[in-house]
Amino acid sequence: MNTIRAWFTKTGEASYISHLDLQRVMGRAMRRSKLPVWYSKGFNPHIYMTFALPLPLGQESLVESVDFKSEAEDFDFEAMAQTLTDALPRGIDVKKIYFVDTDAGKIASAKYQVRIPGNWTKALEQYNSLEKAMVEKKTKRGTKPLNLKEHIAQVEYWQRDSETCFTLTLPAGSSGLNLNPSLLLQYLETAYGLPASVAQVLRVAIYLEGGEKFLK
Amino acid sequence: MFNEELKAALAAVQKPGRYTGGEPGCVYKEKSELDLRFAFCFPDTYEVGMSFLGMKILYEELNQYPRWWCERAFMPWVDMKEEMEKRHIPLYCLESKDPLTAFDIVGFTLQYELSYTNILAMLDMAGIPLHAADRGEDMPLVVAGGPCVCNAEPLADFFDMMMLGEGEEQLPVVCELTVRAKKEGWSKKQLLRAMADIPGCYIPSLYQVNYYEDGRVKEVLPLDGVPAVVTKAIIKDMNSQPLPTNFIVPMIGAVHDRAQIEVLRGCVRGCRFCQAGFLYRPMRERNADMLNQAAQDLCGNTGYDEVSLTSLSTSDHSQLETLLDDMLEWTPDQHVNMALPSLRIDNFSESLIQKTTKVRKSGLTFAPEAGTQRLRDVINKNVTWEEIEKSCRIAFEGGYTGVKLYFMMGLPTETMEDIEGIAETAQKIVDLYYQNPNKPKGRGVQVTISVACFVPKPHTPFQFCPQDTKEMLEEKQKHLVRSVKSKKITVRYHDSKTSFLEGVFAKGDRRLSAVLEEAYRRGCYFDGWDDQFKYDTWLEVFRDLGVDMGFYAHRQIPTDEVTPWDHLHYGVTKRYLISEYENAINAKTTPPCNRKCSGCGANKLLGGPCFEYDKSVVH
Repeated sequence: MNTIRAWFTKTGEASYISHLDLQRVMGRAMRRSKLPVWYSKGFNPHIYMTFALPLPLGQESLVESVDFKSEAEDFDFEAMAQTLTDALPRGIDVKKIYFVDTDAGKIASAKYQVRIPGNWTKALEQYNSLEKAMVEKKTKRGTKPLNLKEHIAQVEYWQRDSETCFTLTLPAGSSGLNLNPSLLLQYLETAYGLPASVAQVLRVAIYLEGGEKFLK
Repeated sequence: MFNEELKAALAAVQKPGRYTGGEPGCVYKEKSELDLRFAFCFPDTYEVGMSFLGMKILYEELNQYPRWWCERAFMPWVDMKEEMEKRHIPLYCLESKDPLTAFDIVGFTLQYELSYTNILAMLDMAGIPLHAADRGEDMPLVVAGGPCVCNAEPLADFFDMMMLGEGEEQLPVVCELTVRAKKEGWSKKQLLRAMADIPGCYIPSLYQVNYYEDGRVKEVLPLDGVPAVVTKAIIKDMNSQPLPTNFIVPMIGAVHDRAQIEVLRGCVRGCRFCQAGFLYRPMRERNADMLNQAAQDLCGNTGYDEVSLTSLSTSDHSQLETLLDDMLEWTPDQHVNMALPSLRIDNFSESLIQKTTKVRKSGLTFAPEAGTQRLRDVINKNVTWEEIEKSCRIAFEGGYTGVKLYFMMGLPTETMEDIEGIAETAQKIVDLYYQNPNKPKGRGVQVTISVACFVPKPHTPFQFCPQDTKEMLEEKQKHLVRSVKSKKITVRYHDSKTSFLEGVFAKGDRRLSAVLEEAYRRGCYFDGWDDQFKYDTWLEVFRDLGVDMGFYAHRQIPTDEVTPWDHLHYGVTKRYLISEYENAINAKTTPPCNRKCSGCGANKLLGGPCFEYDKSVVH
């Protein structure tokens, strides 16, 4: 039995597919593309799939992945990537299919690009000069206060045409703290009136402990 | 395509996936290469609309033409409607994101009376004037199809044209004519007059309705030489009509999120309450080979792991067992589950249950519809207690532990005794379960009785009957709950207020257009959704406009009265409806059409007998 990973992007319309729906969408696409996927045994067999690091609704990503199993021996990964892409909705493109070579359990951080229409450089300048930026982070057991400055001390921003842009590298992974750019955006909205709802968030990289890239 | 305003709106609403499009199976075309753009509008939420087989059929049909593009629009949920209005985003089609005003034809499907206000909301959100008379040459043609067209007189002011009957062959003719009109520069008036000659096309503005002073319809006068009676369009041979083999697969769960194969159209049973049973006559089957192939193609193309054999009465298909055997050749290997949604109690066999449960066991649902034999005879639901008992016994022996039963209340001639009969039927089924020696240890039985309020519908023998008042229905509901003694029985019933409004609009006339518009202006839409239904507002609107709801819903209509829908013909003669009504009152049953022809008149649509009666067509 082989464990195989499909690395895919999730952009445009596809960014509005929730994580739960994505599982169904992916399952159907695998069935449509007739990939040699392994079904769990039992009364109600289903395709065995695991996704690394769920992406919040509305955000885009270049670095999504799903792992599945297969009992096949020979694989034409390039052809598989193409057939799977053809079976998926617009905005989900399979970049690469390959044998799993990194451990999703060791994911440590993720990098995001954020773009906001308008000029918000003043707001970010102010944020950078703050001592403390308290937000409420939702956890499984209610919410708890969190000082954003401990994790995002400085935001490096730039202005491009009519947009303010910045990148963020935030802790991520199945164990430990998981932060998303939306926390910072909500803070900036509350504090400075930045329009968080129209910010475009794009996940561009996922790193393992030690700085190695999760998808290569 | 995705502008900043739309993105901001999507960020603010629940389930943004309803509004994005981009699902697998979507059709995209190059706009500069098109002759015609058709907006298929479903006046309810995305999840409801994406379950609707008719849309899938016509979407595939129209998009086969390289120079036509059919796209989809749904009614945005309350939160999205608000966001769109706030941000001045007109209602758009999901594929191109272009507003409805960019289309040549805006077509609504009328599935349910309580979605009428959503139609007004959708037109309004698109910036299309509600009244057909107020729409200029630059505005799209606004048309309607679907079952409620059989009496969409309450919507007459808002539509340019309505299509009676089956759209597969009729709609392309309508589109072709529209393309020609565009090329030759016809006026809308010219185009509509020409459309009136297409079978099943009804142009409300070309029919003048005159009323008596008391509100009854006096006459309906055809204008400009159009046919006095519009007869529905029909597909004579279902085998000539390929099934859709690719569905748009929704990404957020639709209500019915599975492959659907339409095994037959129409129904032989003649249940007197059932509008669909009269509108879709005669019953026409597709052959098993064609269905099996289509099911296989559809599952392959969509990736669905469930396929449903849909129709009004799937177990009446003469080759059902063959079809199931053929499908069982490939479904287990493909991990596909089969579902048969409309089985009848009286021909539910042991082998059938084994076949459908081979892949996965789902719930069992039967519809006795009435609690006593007398009332079942009145409504011509030809099932007996012995048949119900046999089916439930087979089900229990097959390992089922739950049965759901559908009933109606408020049926013509109904008494409290009939209501008690519902509870008694459920109790007898509970007892039956415990008589089964092989029942699973430690598992109790669950019998759910779901009771709908009967709404008399046009084109049925019960169109003449008054609907029970809200008070009568509530009393009957209470009596039913009192009559149920066992905890193994769960009673569910529907809100009688929505049924009342449904009854008013089902049998309404053109004077209700003003009521609809005013109710919409006062904030009524999504009336079919309990949490959105504003009953008090509706009552106020009727009162303020001086329209008596009881006139439409609670009045016995004499059989010789002109009804608002008499000029809309679905193949069944009014004479037949009257004789069936009389049979009902006398509790006299009528046999299924494949057993004996009762002369309803629908065979004229085919130009010959509906069945080969010399062969054995009944199994």
